[in-house]
Amino acid sequence: MRATCWMGKKHVSVEHVPDPKIINNRDAIIRVTATTICGSDLHLYNGYMPTMQKGDILGHEFMGEVVELGRGVTNLKVGDRVVVPFAIACGNCEQCELGMFSCCENGNPSGWMPEKLMGHPTCGAFGYSHLTGGFSGGQAEYVRVPYADFGPLKVPRHLPDEKVLFLSDIFPTGYMGAEFCEITPRKVIAVWGAGPVGQFAIASAKMLGAERVIAIDRYPYRLKMAIEKAGATDAINYEDQNVQEVLRDLTAGRGPDACIEAVGLEAHGHGVQYVHDAMKQKVKIQMDRPLAVREAIMACRSGGIIAILGVYAGFVDKFPLGALMNRGLTIKTGQCHVHRYMKPLLERIERGDIDPSFIVSHYMNLDDAPKGYDMFMHKQDEVMKIILRS
Amino acid sequence: MKSVSAFRSPAREDQHDRFATKLSAGLGWFSLALGTAQLAVPRTLSRLIGIEPSIAASTILRGLGIREIASGLGLLLEPRRPVPLWARVAGDVIDLGLLGIAASSHRTNRVRLAGAMASVAGVMALDVIAARGTQRHFEAANRPVIYSVTINRPVQEVYQAFRDFSRFPQFMDYLASVQELDRVRSRWVAKLPIGGTVEWDAEITDEMPNQRIAWQSVEGSRIKTRGSVIFSTAPSRNSTEVRVEMQLGFTGKAPSTLLAKFFAKPQIKGDLRRFKQLVETGEVLFSDATEFRRPHPAQPPEQVQRRPKIFEPRRPTAEKGARP
Repeated sequence: MRATCWMGKKHVSVEHVPDPKIINNRDAIIRVTATTICGSDLHLYNGYMPTMQKGDILGHEFMGEVVELGRGVTNLKVGDRVVVPFAIACGNCEQCELGMFSCCENGNPSGWMPEKLMGHPTCGAFGYSHLTGGFSGGQAEYVRVPYADFGPLKVPRHLPDEKVLFLSDIFPTGYMGAEFCEITPRKVIAVWGAGPVGQFAIASAKMLGAERVIAIDRYPYRLKMAIEKAGATDAINYEDQNVQEVLRDLTAGRGPDACIEAVGLEAHGHGVQYVHDAMKQKVKIQMDRPLAVREAIMACRSGGIIAILGVYAGFVDKFPLGALMNRGLTIKTGQCHVHRYMKPLLERIERGDIDPSFIVSHYMNLDDAPKGYDMFMHKQDEVMKIILRS
Repeated sequence: MKSVSAFRSPAREDQHDRFATKLSAGLGWFSLALGTAQLAVPRTLSRLIGIEPSIAASTILRGLGIREIASGLGLLLEPRRPVPLWARVAGDVIDLGLLGIAASSHRTNRVRLAGAMASVAGVMALDVIAARGTQRHFEAANRPVIYSVTINRPVQEVYQAFRDFSRFPQFMDYLASVQELDRVRSRWVAKLPIGGTVEWDAEITDEMPNQRIAWQSVEGSRIKTRGSVIFSTAPSRNSTEVRVEMQLGFTGKAPSTLLAKFFAKPQIKGDLRRFKQLVETGEVLFSDATEFRRPHPAQPPEQVQRRPKIFEPRRPTAEKGARP
């Protein structure tokens, strides 16, 4: 089959590789009908995530049709149309029972690696380095899905791929950020990053009834989409405006009630702070550039909530712990517990509360994945979300 | 009846232990000084120990100097840990060997060389004293638990799963087989990384169903091991805490927790993780990369290498735990 492989820093190519096979009894093989490139794939593309190997198949947002089942899977049939959550979770361990699916204790056969780096193991994930288990990803014609009796969600035929595909990661991720904010009708929410996750965070915050949602980014076309499609009430372009001052003005000095950070370890910014972080990251003494988190902490109203959705890998420096502590802020964060949100969000899509297809900007053939990565990386042609089909 | 508690109260530091710690720090400073001298003035030093200065001798001395400084730093940073001290003992053996080789050459001053060997032997004696003292203290102060894990199933079920030794090779991949000879004795066959197998018999020395099972290798085994696994219900959960205590020994030496921690812990961590997977999910999960023992890209294998067996499968339900 054809599959998008990571061949090195800023180098992906579509290769011919063996077809996936059933390894575990709870596996399924899925023929991928639609997959996408995620913002977090760019961290791999740019070489910021450790433990990548040449030849790793990428992709953790995909859906398709069941073509083969292990003998332990009884709730799916060959031919079922399913969306697959990016997190590989068993459904049996204590974390899964608590609904903390992305902290599943069994889904990562390389669990000892995150345990060394982060203290405790985290779940497995498709196509996302060997730290998350070394599972082949879904930017391919076929993919093996472990714990297929627990993860995949059957979707009705009448909903097109682009409406349900994003249930695999970014829609639940953005929604979880909005849910973290404990939104009530009068609340003001600021969202750093108007990429795909940011758009869904904005749309979800509006859906949950926030009065005012402020989008922060540096690309005018993304801010335009935030306002026109996702429902943001205000937009700040940090290239032209001072984020802290504008947020102060918009909230008459209070600061936003909650801040959602949808940026991650490759944040951009200005001045000494940015140069300092970028240099440390370059020489590998710091894995992350937490500029947006710092900014959100400084901006948030006292007693407010910071929801961190952006991906971080290791240790950071110059973290405003003093502001966090003295002003009584709460941080809520985590890789999305996708399994928790797929069904309720599918119901919202079916009811017409939201149409996630608004973020799709390009359709491409799987063979053009390298071009897609390059385009997404350099934000060419007003790219927002690319759907790959084989 | 033996206690099922896995913890010991903090050990009291006695005079011997305090002496060992002081000695250990002293040896650390000694290592640093000697290492610096070996790096800075190898020619002077080689004359002092009766070896004619040469490029080869200087290179060896500089290499030893780097080792000496590393072991000195290890001792000064962790003066209460026995491992850096045992490493020093190993270093002393190497030094004596090198001096022995030098003694066979004609271009050496035998008297000075004998003096050097006597000094190394003297330091080695101090190293052994310090290592034994710190080890005694370390073992008294530390839990004998090698590793522990919580399994999200009731204790009866976990104990039942563990008690069937013949299933051990399913999650301990270095075992070829475990055969229960009778209710007490079992025969263990392990695969060696270099090929071939090693075999030993073990007997259960204590069994309290759903609480504790203890074993030891029988008299005359090549592998000397004794240990126990303790099962208890986790606080406020219907899950089971499993703790492995173990001691390991080689010919002529009493089994010790330190050796077990050093040699067996990495393996036991993986074994317990897989045992947990088996009991909780019914199988050991492999990814495309971990199906291979060596590094492999996350790509489907040409052929399935290891197809795991089902282990009392428990049907999960997709609804379970989902809290929208």
